[in-house]
Amino acid sequence: MQISQLETILDDDGIIFLTYGGLLTQALIVGMTEALEKESKTHDLNKKVAHNLLTIFIELSQNMMNYSKKSNMSGNAIDSKGLIIVGLDKDANEYYVFSRNIVNINDSEKIIPKIKQVLSLDKAALKLLYRELRKSGREKHEKGAGIGFVEIAKRCDSMECDFTDINDETQYFSLKATIHNVKD
Amino acid sequence: MENLFLEGTQYTPEINMNAESGVISMVGKSYPENTFDFYQPIMDWVTAYFNGEAKNKTVVNMEIIYFNSSSSKLFFDFFDVLDEQKDKHHVEVNWIYDEENESALEAGEDFIEDFENLVINLVGK
Repeated sequence: MQISQLETILDDDGIIFLTYGGLLTQALIVGMTEALEKESKTHDLNKKVAHNLLTIFIELSQNMMNYSKKSNMSGNAIDSKGLIIVGLDKDANEYYVFSRNIVNINDSEKIIPKIKQVLSLDKAALKLLYRELRKSGREKHEKGAGIGFVEIAKRCDSMECDFTDINDETQYFSLKATIHNVKD
Repeated sequence: MENLFLEGTQYTPEINMNAESGVISMVGKSYPENTFDFYQPIMDWVTAYFNGEAKNKTVVNMEIIYFNSSSSKLFFDFFDVLDEQKDKHHVEVNWIYDEENESALEAGEDFIEDFENLVINLVGK
């Protein structure tokens, strides 16, 4: 194992922690959320920054967890090479959460318009859309109605998304949300 | 009717719904693996409470540290039940937030905008 190389990469990219491959479980998400919470306390992070970072992390990781569960249930099990990273870019003084997972092309066709809409909106419009989406009515909740992406966009300073073909059926979907660090 | 108490976990709030005192409280974090399943008994309880022997005054204390977007939908539904009852019963909500955390305050303000006629107090601590 080339641990020192891995270490260099982690240090260079300011990676606080990452998880790769295997199924993302609720227990793992909870553990990482707690660790992130401790990390923000140790570094005396501004509470709003910490809150937004945690919320984005939870949203992205649960999104990946739910997607792989759904795919498994539909008998359409996808490769679970999911990747989630939380890091600090010291030069830019910003925190980031990056996620990448493999999605079925049929699903990305559904996600892309939602993402495009979210990326086109300013904070005030995002807030309105968020409130609109959560109003969807009792008994009518649909998983992944897009509110998660709105939540992320609302809470970060910039959001980038990318879809890259793997083959005719699948793509890598990656999302990076960045939050400027603010000193109290 | 029976009270509903659920102990808090690292990812679900402590739930305390007391039919005798008319005080309902939710304290902690909210990002369950299946949010809808988690909140179903809570929604059932509050509906049954208002259909039955609701107190003259019902106080709801919400002290949620952070929550995922599906919990936000459920809180909306929960407030919607309270909103329907507010003319028949006296209902008051306290949204308790950490004063150093703007995001927690904003979440409370969003609910106030959505439920203009429901009494929602922002309580900093």
